[in-house]
Amino acid sequence: MVVRSRSSRLLRTFAGWAVVALFAFPLYYWLTVAFKDGNEIFNWPPKVFSFTPTLKNFEEVFGISLGFGFGEQREVLPGGGNWRMGPRLWDSIVIAVLSTFLAVTIATLASYALSRMNFRGRHHFVSWVLSTRMMPPVAVAIPVFFIYKDLKLLDTYTGVILIHALMNLPLAVLLMKSFFDDIPREIDESAMVDGASRWLIFRRIVLPMVKGGIAATAVLCFIFSWTEFLFVLTLTQTGLKTVPVVSSTFVTSTGTAWGNMAALGAAAMIPAFIFILLVQKHLVRGLTLGSVKQ
Amino acid sequence: MKLGVLSADRPLVWMLPLILMLVAFTIVPLFYNIWLSFHEYAPFKRQLVYVGMENWKAMFGDSRMWESFGITMFYFVVVLSIELVLGMAIAMLLDEDEFGFGLLRSVLTLTLVVPPAIVGMMYLLIEDPEFGVLTYVLSLFGILDKSTPILATASTALWGVMLADVWQWTPFMVLIFLAGLRSLPPEPYEAAMLDGASAWMTFRRITLPLMSKVIAVAVLIRGIDIFRMFDYVFVMTSGGPGTSTYTLSLYSWQQTFSFIKWGYGATLSLFALFVIIVIANLFIWAAKVRW
Repeated sequence: MVVRSRSSRLLRTFAGWAVVALFAFPLYYWLTVAFKDGNEIFNWPPKVFSFTPTLKNFEEVFGISLGFGFGEQREVLPGGGNWRMGPRLWDSIVIAVLSTFLAVTIATLASYALSRMNFRGRHHFVSWVLSTRMMPPVAVAIPVFFIYKDLKLLDTYTGVILIHALMNLPLAVLLMKSFFDDIPREIDESAMVDGASRWLIFRRIVLPMVKGGIAATAVLCFIFSWTEFLFVLTLTQTGLKTVPVVSSTFVTSTGTAWGNMAALGAAAMIPAFIFILLVQKHLVRGLTLGSVKQ
Repeated sequence: MKLGVLSADRPLVWMLPLILMLVAFTIVPLFYNIWLSFHEYAPFKRQLVYVGMENWKAMFGDSRMWESFGITMFYFVVVLSIELVLGMAIAMLLDEDEFGFGLLRSVLTLTLVVPPAIVGMMYLLIEDPEFGVLTYVLSLFGILDKSTPILATASTALWGVMLADVWQWTPFMVLIFLAGLRSLPPEPYEAAMLDGASAWMTFRRITLPLMSKVIAVAVLIRGIDIFRMFDYVFVMTSGGPGTSTYTLSLYSWQQTFSFIKWGYGATLSLFALFVIIVIANLFIWAAKVRW
């Protein structure tokens, strides 16, 4: 578009890489901590590039012996050095997957109607959905804690799954509505002239056309459930915990187990990283609740 | 199709699950919260007792509430401004098809998927006075001495928390603005170049107006999340040192669950809800954001 000199282009390229490197650095450093032995974490000056990698932290966190590669193999200690985070990872997966399924199902049905059917109060309804996105989680978590206590839903998968689905509903509804809006209404209408029912049109014609949108919505719901903190902190006690909440237990009175925490954190980031890269095409639309299209 | 009420031609049938969820998890809790705000837990009776307007009266006279409200608003304004300006600057820098810039844009998405609680831990480590990388870099430049605890000093703690927020969410702004910049029409820029407009003029008179809708949406969504921020302060400082990083969300959560003042915590959370609804709707109205 604009013709630039060679040197200014070079400068720009350099600046771009430098800025992104600055943002990537904390992630890189966190990864090195996951592979560092205790003493190397506490080194001054901090060891950024030269350190002896070890899998010890991962072995301790998941209570398994990886026993290959780096350095000397250690015996995993029961209790003290062994956090057994496998089940917590499982809790995170169950909650994220099921709450995503619930949110996407409910949202797809509702947003089809919001996109396709004319009825009174449609705009008000969309505004209402949007306004639920504004509620501070703490204003939901406090009353829901007491309601769950009476319904015996505290500390259960059902309870957390429901609240995470709710948390993702505004995003899922608005995003799916924008994907349905992209498909011309004429497609529905001509099928209806041919005598197909609403349900059949939805199932056979429209739904296959928004597959990509459903995938993008599902990924975002998954990530927001995976990373959510306050609801799990409030609504669970000992029965289950997701990774973000259980990470805070690495801060103990005798010091923080940084290596173990970093190992768990690194393991928890991997699925989210992969998923987000898969739906990059729709990412901005998702982040803006369907209002900015790429 | 035969059952009139359940006919697929009725919008209500499609929306019923959504409506049920929203009523059960937003309307019911809202009224429960309001009910709760007129009660308080009595430790000796071990039950909730009716206290009338006491919680509301206490809240408006509570200097710590106003302090945490001030901290929340300060955090809100500072973090939103930094993320907005920095996000726009980086977006304009990366809005080019240089070698590898596609990769750079992908790398920036990575900060968004890290759980904020873990980002808090990350910055707890980076800002550690004894072995933190940031402490080390700042000490190299003579800005800070080793052993100066950024997060345990009242004057710097909030900035330490802000850094985590800015690191995680500036890329959010960058990605949205990039999408906006990439969809701008080329004609106005060509005209501006022919007229010999300066880069700043082109940005002020063409880019900003054309991007106004995208900016408004990004500010709205980010603003809501910054206002209700909880994870970073909970993990990094728990509101301390003293009360220097108490946000409204943290204050109401702690009143309810740490100090067993159920009614008062509910009152505080309702106040936070009220403030954000008012600010967000004023913004939507003023900026004419539409969904």
